Formats: sequence, C-alpha cells, structure tokens
Amino acid sequence: MTTTAIRGGPGVTPRESGAAAAVLAFFDAYRVHDVEGMVDLCTDGADFRYVPFEVRGRQRVLHGEGKVRTIGKVIWTTLIDAFPDLNNDVTSLRADEHGNVVAEVSVNGTQARPFGIIACTGGHFELPHLFLFHVTGDGLIDDVVAYWDNVVWKRQLGCVEVD
Amino acid sequence: MSARSLAENFFSYLQAGEVGDILDLMTPDATVSLVPLNRHGPMATDGAAYVRELVRSFPDLVVRVRRLFVTADNTAVAEITIEGTQADDFLTVVNQEKHVELDQAWMLKVTPADRISAVTAYWDQNQLYRRLGVKRLDKITITAG
Repeated sequence: MTTTAIRGGPGVTPRESGAAAAVLAFFDAYRVHDVEGMVDLCTDGADFRYVPFEVRGRQRVLHGEGKVRTIGKVIWTTLIDAFPDLNNDVTSLRADEHGNVVAEVSVNGTQARPFGIIACTGGHFELPHLFLFHVTGDGLIDDVVAYWDNVVWKRQLGCVEVD
Repeated sequence: MSARSLAENFFSYLQAGEVGDILDLMTPDATVSLVPLNRHGPMATDGAAYVRELVRSFPDLVVRVRRLFVTADNTAVAEITIEGTQADDFLTVVNQEKHVELDQAWMLKVTPADRISAVTAYWDQNQLYRRLGVKRLDKITITAG
C-alpha cells in the first residue's frame, strides 16, 4: 500500500487519523473475509451503496443500496463465496477533518462460483475501486459507497453480456 | 481559490463544455485518469478530447454535484450525476437519442498554488452501455431499441 496520501505527524487531527484507521481496519477485515468484523466496524444503521450493482429483474431493477447490516452483508458474503481468494490492496487513502474518507482499492480474486449473470469459468480479475466512507466521531463507519467498472470486471471473467 | 471552489467551477465548466476554462483551472502538465476508459494522459489532450466528445454527444448535459469534500492533502472528492440525451455517437455507441443518468466519482488534486494537477474519475461503463441500449460488450456498436 502506498502511504503518500496519508499524512502523519503534527497537524493530523484525531478525527482524520481515527477515520483513516477505521477504514484501514475495514479493509483488513475484508482481506481475511471477516464479514462480521467488517459489520462491527459500522454503526447499526450504516448506509450502504455499491453504485454499479444493478440486477435486472422482470419487473424492476434491483440496486445495491440500503444498509450495511442487510444489503452490504449479503453482497460481501456472496462475493467471498463466489471468489474464495478475494483480496484487496489499498493503494491510496485520504481523509478530511469531518470523517470523510476516500480510498482507492485494487480488488482481485478467482471465480469459483457463478456471480449474478457472470457464469463461472474460473477466471481471475483485478479491478480498481473507489470507496467513499463517512466515519463518526466515535470511529464507526456510518456510510459506505463504492464505484468500479463492471465492463472491465466482466471482460476479465469472460462475460460479454451487458445484462 | 479554495479546492472546493475550484471543483465547483470545474464541474460547472464540464456541464457547459468549456474546455478552455477547465484547462485554465489546471497546471500546464495536469494529468487525467478516466479509469473505466483506461485513458491516462495529459488533461490538455486526453481530458479535453473526452469533454468535447461528451458535450457534443449530450448537448443538454447537466452535471449535478451530489457530495463534495476536500481531504487534508487538498484533494477535492466529488460524487456527481451526469444527465443528458444522446444526440450523436458517443464512445462508439450509435445514437438512439436515449436519456442517460449516470453516477460518477471524481478526485481533483489541487496544488498549493490553487491549480488542479491531477484528475481521476470512476464510473461504471456497463451502466452507461445499459442506458444507451448496448446489449453485448463484444459488439458495442450494436444496440437494441
């Protein structure tokens, strides 16, 4: 992980360093597939939004948006099940004095089971993500947002369908 | 000008397609990374070309800033929504006059001299293709009505 974007020493506010520490702990837990640990780093009502996550149903489009303890936990568990060696590398992390954190994270894994419309061919992916968090003054995450590109992800896994 | 103000101006100029005004906010050697397009290069060429194509293809473009904060190292981080109706081919997708709304996240790194030195943008190109009627990733130019 690069630390160029993470300030240290005098001038770093406790809120800034606390928020960064919470987010790094979140990705540490994710790296060892400790979903309960990820959830425990969040407030009870933490919001969750995986922007590219859209599943087309017959009647409507389901979005990856809701609460960490419901939608988030299900998506993380399903991802780890489909990609049992799922891993992440935090490549940059920046925080402000109000609990906002932005992290660039490279996520990678090898597919072992189908995921959504992506049939399992045993493919490997490596995909840049941008995560945005908000961390409370108590050091708990109360908002998780993520962006990535599903085209790059699908192409690496041999899927050419948009939906 | 603060990093927040620079970012607000940047997105205002993006909506208007004012490439010259965007470049005036930036250092001469500013870089751009449009991650979903795997386009990484100078803002003056690669970034400017993207903005020109975006506003040509979506002449009614609206850019809404939904969230904006500035990190301790003076990087402006924004969640935006771009909205518009396709009026010309865009990124090889033929024009079907589809209306598009697409959420994006941008990071603008600002120097102590109040100039943007690096721009990085993330979005899901699959969402864009879906909204433009593309059905297959190996046949981007073939769309469904």
